[in-house]
Amino acid sequence: MSDAVAESRHDSHVYHHFVDAHQQFDASKMGMWIFLGTEILFFGGLFAAYIIFRSWYPQAFIDGSNALDKLVGGADTLDLILSSLTMALAIHSIQTNKQKLTIIYLGITFVLGAFFIGSHIMEWLDNFSHGMYPGSAYAFKGISDSHAYVFFSLYYLMTGLHGIHVLVGMGLMVWLMVKTKRGRFSSEYFTPVEITGLYWHLVDIFWIFLLPLFYLVA
Amino acid sequence: METAAAANRKTVTMKVRRYVMPEHSELNYLNQEKGIKSWLLTRDHKRIGLMYFFTGAIVFFVAGLIALTIRLELWTPAKTIIDAHTYNELFTLHGTLMIFFFLVPAVPGILGNFFIPLQIGAKDVAFPRLNLLSYYLYLTGIIFTVVTILTHGVDTGWTFYAPYSIKSTTAVIPMTTGIFITGFSSILTGLNFIVTIHKLRAPGLTWGKFPLFVWGIYATSIIQILATPVLAITLALLIMERLLHVGIFNPALGGDPVLYEHFFWFYSHPAVYIMIVPGFGIIADLIATFSHKRLFGYWFVAISTLAIAFLGFLVWGHHMFVAGQSMIASIVFSLLTFMIGIPTGIKIFNWLATMYKGSVRLKVPMLYALSFIFLFSIGGFTGVMLGALSVDVQLHATYYVVAHFHYVMFGGMVIALLGGIHFWWPKMFGKMYSETMARISWFLIFVGFNVTFFPQFILGAKGMPRRYYNYLPQFQPLHQLSTVGSWILALGFFIMLGYLLHSLIKGKKAPANPWDARTLEWMTSSPPPTENFSYTPVVIHGPYEYQRPISEFQLGLLSNGEHGGDELEVEAPSGGNSPEMANV
Amino acid sequence: MSEHHITPVKTLIKVGVALAILTVITVGVGFMQLPPPYNVIFSIGIAVVKASLVAMFFMNLYWDKKFNALVLVISLIFLSALVGITMLDTMFRHAIIPTFTAG
Repeated sequence: MSDAVAESRHDSHVYHHFVDAHQQFDASKMGMWIFLGTEILFFGGLFAAYIIFRSWYPQAFIDGSNALDKLVGGADTLDLILSSLTMALAIHSIQTNKQKLTIIYLGITFVLGAFFIGSHIMEWLDNFSHGMYPGSAYAFKGISDSHAYVFFSLYYLMTGLHGIHVLVGMGLMVWLMVKTKRGRFSSEYFTPVEITGLYWHLVDIFWIFLLPLFYLVA
Repeated sequence: METAAAANRKTVTMKVRRYVMPEHSELNYLNQEKGIKSWLLTRDHKRIGLMYFFTGAIVFFVAGLIALTIRLELWTPAKTIIDAHTYNELFTLHGTLMIFFFLVPAVPGILGNFFIPLQIGAKDVAFPRLNLLSYYLYLTGIIFTVVTILTHGVDTGWTFYAPYSIKSTTAVIPMTTGIFITGFSSILTGLNFIVTIHKLRAPGLTWGKFPLFVWGIYATSIIQILATPVLAITLALLIMERLLHVGIFNPALGGDPVLYEHFFWFYSHPAVYIMIVPGFGIIADLIATFSHKRLFGYWFVAISTLAIAFLGFLVWGHHMFVAGQSMIASIVFSLLTFMIGIPTGIKIFNWLATMYKGSVRLKVPMLYALSFIFLFSIGGFTGVMLGALSVDVQLHATYYVVAHFHYVMFGGMVIALLGGIHFWWPKMFGKMYSETMARISWFLIFVGFNVTFFPQFILGAKGMPRRYYNYLPQFQPLHQLSTVGSWILALGFFIMLGYLLHSLIKGKKAPANPWDARTLEWMTSSPPPTENFSYTPVVIHGPYEYQRPISEFQLGLLSNGEHGGDELEVEAPSGGNSPEMANV
Repeated sequence: MSEHHITPVKTLIKVGVALAILTVITVGVGFMQLPPPYNVIFSIGIAVVKASLVAMFFMNLYWDKKFNALVLVISLIFLSALVGITMLDTMFRHAIIPTFTAG
């Protein structure tokens, strides 16, 4: 095939079936957006379950939500929003060829993610100490509604699944930091940074909805 | 997506000349790289397609043997060869293997992988390594299932309905985990094809010029992307229910088992369209090629394919008419189910119109295509009948349903797959097969299929429930007839295995274009070289322009440094994706 | 075609601040315990605004190819179909069909 076409100086990262870096970048972004679409439907199933159970047992959800700490929820949200900002700044840095700054921003994003996970773990442990376990293990006496455990089952399922996604994102941050350090990325080629950013922002968006759904029901 | 807007349409001038690929190439994708590692770590879409073929064929074979066992057990009303618990495990396994590990992955995995890049003139799919990952995820899912069989088995039916799937002591978690993993394979494959079709088309190949097989795979990929994640979360919730007793589906804990069915069928109904829509694409290509006539109503067929993909998401409740769903929901679902017959009908009439006044050649792929029209029509009609609420109350969970879905899945999809395999076999392997043996095999399969499954409509209408190990004595004659049919079917498949293996070992060398077709895959050697084309194809005609000479389908861009050639005005693919534009 | 549009740092920070402010507002209002359905409308409404800001400016959809935004929108549409049509069942389980009531 016309090897003439892949004439860009930095075509070492362009795979043979793409004609140039631009087509490859566009394709990768499109692919990531489609993957994000699947994540929306994956999480969406849980959102659907939430909506349906809340329509059946509204009081259980109000009482359950009151048992959670709004300020912690708010702080977690601010944490993730800040991490989205630092992720966007990391992308900006690599777009302007500032590798060191990129690593710093990726690192801050990682740390913010770690704080988020840590906050969750503490919250969960605190809940457990009150007997707020999911499903049939539920033993909290503070709520009179008999269906309160449904709220908590969904709470653990959704924040748990979200937490797993945050952990994966944190792993991706580390991978990106290592590759940036090794000089793999520049303003010419930073596709993995960009598409990891898209993933991280989506994880932030999910939490933006989890906040009112679980902490701000009343 | 469509190039309807004039703003999207732009023409560029390119310098092209005719390139003639050799008919056979001694060095091709099968032998250009040698060694087991070159296969296991391949990124070539054609090799990955063959790996899917090999694995899928084994799955089909195993699931088929199970079917023969089931039918043998049903020879007599009481125990014939196996006990009831084993019977439950066997039909669960048959359904799970056939649906999740054969029908859903097969056509995209085998024919989609092999031919989409070829038909659009690309060198590979957009993400070859992801493609390989898709295959290994598929394989991993199968391994989980094998482990399940060898340890415990599952007896819930392939639908894993709550609450029994929560209580059953069988290996529900490993099996659903296997399906979960294979689901990712499906998602990644769909993702890969969508990006490939959008971004990697050859210059001149606009949305109105590619073969209907590409439209079929495109529509299928959209369904895979949107539906499979819901299956994933459903199975994950089921696993959580079993492990942590979360109380979402378990009625004993205040959960709703009908909610499980909603989530499950939100995927599984579109899944049946994942299974059949690629088949629609294959059949369109077969009918046009073997009628040697342009497909009638190209855009009607293309748009109706997308319409089926869309409408398929809105009808899932027709599996739940007697499950305890609200009457309003049932009425809405029934109405939508009737509507989905319309786009399908549009396709069938367009295919028939294609054949009218065409030059019909009854080669084996065409025999399969014609069988498809007949068998799928029966399957489709009976589906609409089941969609009628009052009728479904009688027929739900009877053999009528079993017959319906075997007519669409087997008589439809498998027949289409067989047609596609027989059509593209010469291209994939560079060998021809014995036409005579293939005709005999087709005949046995066609007759055997009808003898197996038509009596099941009658059984169902008379009240024989599905998944039952025992039955009333008056059903025995029809059951026995059905079992005899299964033996005829099996014979047909064994003959097929025979002549296809023979073709690989001793078959005549195939020319590049044995069927006188016009789509791009036939413009390269049989089998193709690893890089598919030694030039960048340029497309100026539609895929079914049989009146045009083949030379006009063998055009390619002049490579660097070449001079001369013809100047050609070419419509750029929508979005100006082809970077060749930049090179002009 | 957005050729690697580089969003200025100032814009990113402004969006981040806006998101933080909206978060504070939504939590604050959460303490105020609005009556239903206003509590839901308000909190989900703010969440939608926040999500849109993230999508448009952090994820670059504002400057990106329309197709990517289309993917997002289509996913949401199908999710709505799942929720909406399922609720046609779950909300009306005990709905009385007039002609079916015992005479």
